[in-house]
Amino acid sequence: MPTTRFGRLTAALLLVAVLALGVTALAACGSDSSGATASSSPAASAASGAITVTDDEGNQVTLDKPAARIVSLAPANTEIVYAIGAGDKLVAGTTYDDYPAQAKSLPKVGDFNNPNIEKTASYSPDLVLAAGGIQDKLRTKLESLGMKVYVVDPKTYDGTIASIENVGKLAGAEDGAIQVGDKMTAAQQTVQAAVGDLPKATTFLEIYSKPLMTAGKGTYISDMIGIAGGENIGDQAGTGFPNFSTEVLVKDDPQVYIADSGSMSKPGDIKQRAGFAALTAVKDGHVYVIDDSTIARPGPRLADGLLSLARYIHPEASVSQ
Amino acid sequence: MSKLARTGVWPGILLAAGILAVCLVLALALGPAPLSVGRIWSLLFAGPVKGDLDNAIFWQIRMPRVLTAALVGAALAVAGVILQDLFLNPLTDPYVTGVSSGAALGATIGIVLHFSNLSATTVLAIIGGLGTLVLVWMAARRRGRIDVFVLLLAGVTISYLASAVVTVLMIKANQDMTQIIYWLMGSFSGRGWPDVTIALITIPFMALPLFFTREMDIMLQGEKRAMELGVEVERNKRMLLVTAGVLTALAVSVSGIIGFVGLVVPHIVRLLVGPGHRGLLPVSLLAGASMMVVADLLSRTVIAPNEIPVGVVTTFVGAPLFVYLLRRGRRA
Repeated sequence: MPTTRFGRLTAALLLVAVLALGVTALAACGSDSSGATASSSPAASAASGAITVTDDEGNQVTLDKPAARIVSLAPANTEIVYAIGAGDKLVAGTTYDDYPAQAKSLPKVGDFNNPNIEKTASYSPDLVLAAGGIQDKLRTKLESLGMKVYVVDPKTYDGTIASIENVGKLAGAEDGAIQVGDKMTAAQQTVQAAVGDLPKATTFLEIYSKPLMTAGKGTYISDMIGIAGGENIGDQAGTGFPNFSTEVLVKDDPQVYIADSGSMSKPGDIKQRAGFAALTAVKDGHVYVIDDSTIARPGPRLADGLLSLARYIHPEASVSQ
Repeated sequence: MSKLARTGVWPGILLAAGILAVCLVLALALGPAPLSVGRIWSLLFAGPVKGDLDNAIFWQIRMPRVLTAALVGAALAVAGVILQDLFLNPLTDPYVTGVSSGAALGATIGIVLHFSNLSATTVLAIIGGLGTLVLVWMAARRRGRIDVFVLLLAGVTISYLASAVVTVLMIKANQDMTQIIYWLMGSFSGRGWPDVTIALITIPFMALPLFFTREMDIMLQGEKRAMELGVEVERNKRMLLVTAGVLTALAVSVSGIIGFVGLVVPHIVRLLVGPGHRGLLPVSLLAGASMMVVADLLSRTVIAPNEIPVGVVTTFVGAPLFVYLLRRGRRA
């Protein structure tokens, strides 16, 4: 019995090997002819307008032609698409898309934290604009379903402009994207002209209050605080959006305290928090709440956020609109 | 009978009190903002002064935080002792009564409704916790008696129900999701004197069972036997349940849900001083406070200026200690 079984096994293996050899040989012959077309196809498609850009996670995204059906998975991405003038190509967005006003009437594929993959696929988009962080695992799933995914997850203010221009290329709205980028660069220049020579003011930006969370280094928010003439206290707590010790906050004594409106904090409450009465920012009245849609959404409205930051961090400089 | 029980409970209580005192001193002296021992000494005698940063760190941030941690730890440990003994179940922790989930629901509602005043959220948590206690109570009451097994099951069921509602609220109001998750994880970050005030309400409720240690000892032998021995089982049970429920609701409302202390501290103390409540209750109270104070100290210093969730630290500190004591207890 064992020998027969061994014999059968050998026979089966031999058969598989022969088949494999044959297939390889066939493939090799085929590749001779198809190799020519394969090497010529990028050139051909480049001529017909294939677009390749690298997204904020370092992945190359290639479209044969500008996208005509775009699904946005984040409010910021929706804002970008409308701002560059490609709003008519948006086929779906997410629950909290509220800017510009027409975004509210877009069909929704779920919310930012948990977009529905089936629903996204049902719009057969030729481009999906995803976000980083919580949507990290989404990309693989969407791509396995044949969708092209561009992740907007900039780490700096300039990176946001670059990402908007990439989306412009993919959506066939490059001119609009460049205009948006120019407007954002103009805001940056305005701010730099006004506060560039002023001493840096130590600034704390509150994302949440209980527990205290801030924007760490390597975030576009930290970058914007720097551009606006501030020194971000949160940088010492590491990257991303870390929690932050209240004791260290008081010890570092920021000159300016800015709460993201998403934290639901009010300036009056902030002043009354344990230990905050002694802060320089509180004593000097430099406690502000910033509209989170101009700072928590990496998109065109960061220009407004940057101007607000500069006004809060350096009220003595007159930052014009 | 363990050695301590024979020589009286006072050596154990005094030792636990000494340990707590050391923990409190360490927790007040150490923190992510470096303050020298001399500076702390002068701050301690200066009292709260307005406008001085070091003073604000010590009196407005560190002190209320340490005191809240101590009171919450003590309350959870006492509630744990009471409930483990009432249910005669070693896996019981203060959260099985559903009170904590009810409190979590209350706090979630507060967060979702955006009460800017944070103590409103705390009050809603207390209401949620005590409301759950009443519900569980009504479910378990039959012909004037409280059936502890029905109570246990009702508590677990209601806690699942409350968690389900919390999840729905989290999905509905997902801008607040992070805040809710952090609340559920439990923390002493940013706790101030108003939180201490609420936590101080636990003191009479922690003291109350100390007057009923004899009855609690007898009830360990089962309700029937306790009744034969002349203990008014129903009245004691009611008193103890309400005490444990109120302690849990107050603790959870100021700190969120911090695991492990209420489950493991009573066990550790039982291994050390035995099951007699005259020693078990006060030593658990002091040990719970010590453990929470140390856990919070580690949570705010180890990776400063970031913080580790305190529930993670209680588990990391408590689990190895518990396993060690369990093994040692077996051998003895």
